[in-house]
Amino acid sequence: MAERRFEDLRWPAEDPIVDIPELSVQLGERLIVFGPNGAGKTTLLRLVAAVEGEGGTPYASYLPQRPYLFRGTCRANLHLGLDTEARIRAEDLAVRLGVGDRLDHQAHTLSGGERMRLSMARTLAVDTPLVLLDEPLAPLDLRDREAVAAVIADALVGRSAIIVTHDRDTAAMLGDRMAVMIDGKIQQVGAVAEVFATPSNDTVAAIVGVSNVIDGKVIARRGALVEVEWGGHRFFALGDHPPETAVKVLFGGEAVGVHKEPMGESSARNLFPGVVSEIRETGRLAEIVIDCGSPVVALITPGSLDALGLTPGSEVHVSVKATAARAVAVGEAE
Amino acid sequence: MEFLADVFEAAFAFLGDSGGELARVVLLTLVVAGLATAIGVAIGVPFGIWLGLARFRGRGAIWTVVNVGMGMPPVLVGLFVLLLLWSDGPLGPLNILFTPAAMVIVQVLLALPIAAGVTAGAVAGLAPDAREQLDALHLTFPRRGAVVAKEVWPGVTAAIAATFGRVVSEVGAVLIVGGNILGETRVLTTAIVQETRQARFGAAVALGIVLLVIAFSVNGTLTWLQFRGRHVG
Repeated sequence: MAERRFEDLRWPAEDPIVDIPELSVQLGERLIVFGPNGAGKTTLLRLVAAVEGEGGTPYASYLPQRPYLFRGTCRANLHLGLDTEARIRAEDLAVRLGVGDRLDHQAHTLSGGERMRLSMARTLAVDTPLVLLDEPLAPLDLRDREAVAAVIADALVGRSAIIVTHDRDTAAMLGDRMAVMIDGKIQQVGAVAEVFATPSNDTVAAIVGVSNVIDGKVIARRGALVEVEWGGHRFFALGDHPPETAVKVLFGGEAVGVHKEPMGESSARNLFPGVVSEIRETGRLAEIVIDCGSPVVALITPGSLDALGLTPGSEVHVSVKATAARAVAVGEAE
Repeated sequence: MEFLADVFEAAFAFLGDSGGELARVVLLTLVVAGLATAIGVAIGVPFGIWLGLARFRGRGAIWTVVNVGMGMPPVLVGLFVLLLLWSDGPLGPLNILFTPAAMVIVQVLLALPIAAGVTAGAVAGLAPDAREQLDALHLTFPRRGAVVAKEVWPGVTAAIAATFGRVVSEVGAVLIVGGNILGETRVLTTAIVQETRQARFGAAVALGIVLLVIAFSVNGTLTWLQFRGRHVG
């Protein structure tokens, strides 16, 4: 598979904020760079965009974290640096991103969210094989994020993207693969769900926080919850998506209960049988990986681990409180 | 008080009586200062935008040269150009000393650092987010320059106003390379010096009033453009 490789992403030379020997992104892949504030994510993107240092490519379309609109109309800003074909694409994207009616307004009248949408339309309209987005959903509220993520995903079909975020929902909505960046270095790279489920060390675990990301499709809306079809199971999670929406459900390992016997009546809406496939004792808590058709990670104390007498192969029952799980719509091409 | 009243009475009498001679002086003033401003701005403003955006090592040295140029005493620049254009000087064969062309050359040299320095200062004040966006857009320099000029438009009009103000009010350099020849190289400022030295205060004040009217008209227009740029376009 064709890939785009960047080597020696290091800046500044002395006492670097970013020090990454190699970063590669596959053709058509959306790579999330996930990390806390101050990890060097923005600097990494600026290096890749060749705004700073050497080793980047000027042939990438780059959306800065705080996009700036210049004096003039929104349309003039949307068209900036674009050829005729790209301008047509940009106007179409502006309409789909909900700012199509603002094009004849002066740029300074836009809100932060609208400024991001307009700049995003321009960035996505540039016909480059690589697109770089810095916290693209941050100025938007959650409901808008899902719609915008869908437009982004659609515009990125067949192209590669590096998307920087510190937000788990954004990572789940837009990511194929995810690189966790801490203190200027990439600590772990893998499929988004894999990184969430199996952080490579305590530092990564503390940053990514959520252990479980499962894929499913909404069957029905039930009050504040959605019922999600997941590997033959029904899974309830917080959400208000219409049926047929492709979603990812995020929940922490601490929200997963592990039981030797089937539970009777319970407030937990999600109850599944499974088999322990792996036990990892990392620091103060133990991580139990349970195969319920797909793997679910539970975080329990060593005391509970002893009391339950769990070993790989043990048959168990798993419970997840619906209110501890959150569904987000996946940014999928329409 | 009577003395001042007499001077102003003489000044208005001069304005009323003077015909072709005053008109020639005013016309030459406008042509020389206008040309010098136009050339100075055409080169100085793009250079100032480039300098304001530049981030290479050694740009500080260029800034220093520009800043020194902004404060350069006009008589020094005049002397330097005189030496260049003197019959035995390197540019002597051009034979343009004591002509309006020499005056335009000397004033362009005075205009350039002002146009560049004021523009560069305005560009250097661009918000960091604006610079980041410019870098992200990867525009060609002319396109980038146009976007920046529009963004710092009040600063660009200030640069034009400061440039015109410098050249139209300047006397030392044009006196040295122009020679204040009546009907050929006499402009308003050198004429004021001439009249004052001969104690014809009425005529000197009259010329001063004309100079003020020109300054007000040009700067009034520029201020209108500056103000307009802030709201529209």
